[in-house]
Amino acid sequence: MIYQISHNIISPLGFSSEENFRAVKDGKTKLKLQETAFSLPEPFFGALIDDDLLDAEFARINTQNFRYTKFEKAAIISVSKALQQSDIQPNSPRVQFILSTTKGNVHLLENADGFDSERVYLWKSAQLIANFFGNSNEPIVVSNACISGASAQITAKRMLESNECDYAIVVGADMLSKFVVSGFQSFKALSKELCKPYDKNRVGLNLGEAAATIIYGKTDKSLPENSIVLVSGAMANDANHISGPSRTGAGLYLAIQKAMDGFATPNEIAFVNAHGTATAYNDDMESLALTSARLNERPVNSLKAYFGHTLGAAGVLESIISSLAIIDGTALKTNNLHERGTVAPLNTLTENQSCSEHTFLKVLSGFGGSNAALLFKKFTQHNG
Amino acid sequence: MDNGITSYCRITNKAVVVNGEKHTIPRTDSAWLSDIYHAENLSYPKFFKMDNLAKAGFLGAELTLQDVGIDKTEPKKNIAVVCCNRSSSLDDDTAYQQTIQNPADYYPSPAVFVYTLANIVTGEISIRNKIMGESAFYVMEHCNPQKFCSFVRGAFSDKTIDACLCGWTEYNNGNCDVLFLFVTRNELNDLELNIEKLYR
Amino acid sequence: MEELITELKKEIIDVLNLEGMTPEDIDSDAPMFGDEGLALDSIDALELIVLLEKNYGIKLANAAAGKEVFKSVRTMAEYVSKNRTK
Repeated sequence: MIYQISHNIISPLGFSSEENFRAVKDGKTKLKLQETAFSLPEPFFGALIDDDLLDAEFARINTQNFRYTKFEKAAIISVSKALQQSDIQPNSPRVQFILSTTKGNVHLLENADGFDSERVYLWKSAQLIANFFGNSNEPIVVSNACISGASAQITAKRMLESNECDYAIVVGADMLSKFVVSGFQSFKALSKELCKPYDKNRVGLNLGEAAATIIYGKTDKSLPENSIVLVSGAMANDANHISGPSRTGAGLYLAIQKAMDGFATPNEIAFVNAHGTATAYNDDMESLALTSARLNERPVNSLKAYFGHTLGAAGVLESIISSLAIIDGTALKTNNLHERGTVAPLNTLTENQSCSEHTFLKVLSGFGGSNAALLFKKFTQHNG
Repeated sequence: MDNGITSYCRITNKAVVVNGEKHTIPRTDSAWLSDIYHAENLSYPKFFKMDNLAKAGFLGAELTLQDVGIDKTEPKKNIAVVCCNRSSSLDDDTAYQQTIQNPADYYPSPAVFVYTLANIVTGEISIRNKIMGESAFYVMEHCNPQKFCSFVRGAFSDKTIDACLCGWTEYNNGNCDVLFLFVTRNELNDLELNIEKLYR
Repeated sequence: MEELITELKKEIIDVLNLEGMTPEDIDSDAPMFGDEGLALDSIDALELIVLLEKNYGIKLANAAAGKEVFKSVRTMAEYVSKNRTK
């Protein structure tokens, strides 16, 4: 079994997984109109990690005289906190770092800020992060658009199962910048208010930044009660359009089928934590895919109106929140959803409700036509 | 079949080699990748909307598949597309940055921004060939055959996958360095050695 | 109007990377989007919105507003003629 040993979230909602989960359960968000960030001609609705708080936290663990970027600091802090909750020696050759990110230090293209030109390379940041912990294995970098966080966890599972490592430290991170925000603005994909996933009146997404870490291990013995097992993971491509979701949801449906076949039936699924970016097309596409997979009556939620879309961190961050939710026996609501409005009806929750099943599904879709589905199970003495 | 791999294609700044055979590419005033497109008599107008990375990967895949008998119009769930490179989408990132760098000439381009994700190249290949199996993109400092092979093996751990279209697709600042392969499940054992041999 | 139409055709060919096409190849009244003719897609529509702003100083609020404007090169020319500030 591939299982979560420990995890951490660094986001505007807090610097621990528990703090983030509590905020989400209480319906809180730090998403707001950002009017001055990044000197953009147009404001955007999003959430940013406070630089001073992050630096203060980093100063507590950084003993070297080496400059790191915000992206690297957030990732390092997140890994550090996850490691503190485990017995793992990160410098062991049997520990593999896997970084999930879409743009890394891309902000350096606007202003190098005294950093070496190599710092825009994702492998360079990954090496610096791994080296911070004394790990000299070449880190793996997954850059698969919005599904990177799921892709990275699938990579971890495969490496553990083929015995290429004993532990996999999966860290997903992306920070916002003029580069990223202006790009989404040029797509006219952003909402100027708090986003409304699955809502009839949704008009676009919000952006957020985060770093999130899950440390995975492998065992064929029993596990502590409430451990979260990554049962299966699968990816598939729409083969339709590079930035527009498939009109049928065929790719996402295929990923879900592959992840669930032989492992779980729809009525065993406590909830589906979907992508729910609140664009017209994405949410409709998901409703079709989930209906094809006979998951349309299971509770469905999106976390995007709590965190915004955190890009390379999303798959990891949202898996952690959902893991804590299933341990808590709670199917979380979708924040800011008032009137359901997808082309196929879904059981998208407008209130938190209790759930008793032990399995949940995490799905994501991204540019490039990629789709991913992860099936997680809460290990208990009864079902283990 | 050559070297125990169903098919491969190597594209550098100087040459195009497909399964051991060097292809003649007449040079014009156009870009190298455009010259390859025309020399190979390809017909896919969307090619010219792509950024350099997507063009390079597209050509690598297209030429690798030339003699592999797949139907480009039938959706195929049993093929995976796995790419990796060193620069991610840095070539296009630089182009996009230019559209927003000067506040007095600020016109962010959506057509350029869409290619600022490295995995778009796997998307273009999937669309062109109707491939619905998994698509993935990895970044590493150099083309490491052992790691490359590990990613491809990973794709095959999905039991529904019978073949993998995989490539080192590096393009940055005028430097084109592509090795594309079409491998089947039983060609995995020798894959690492073959990548090492063919990448040189 | 014909001069503007030709100018627009050149700009469309340029910004949308319509390789090998000349203004003579584009029918001024044919639908630009959909399955026929130029068969432009959603990203092309967004890029045309940037073109309107950059070259003619016209700001379209959202992609939906573009649907009527970009029906054909002629409707686009008529809109530009009426609303240009550059």
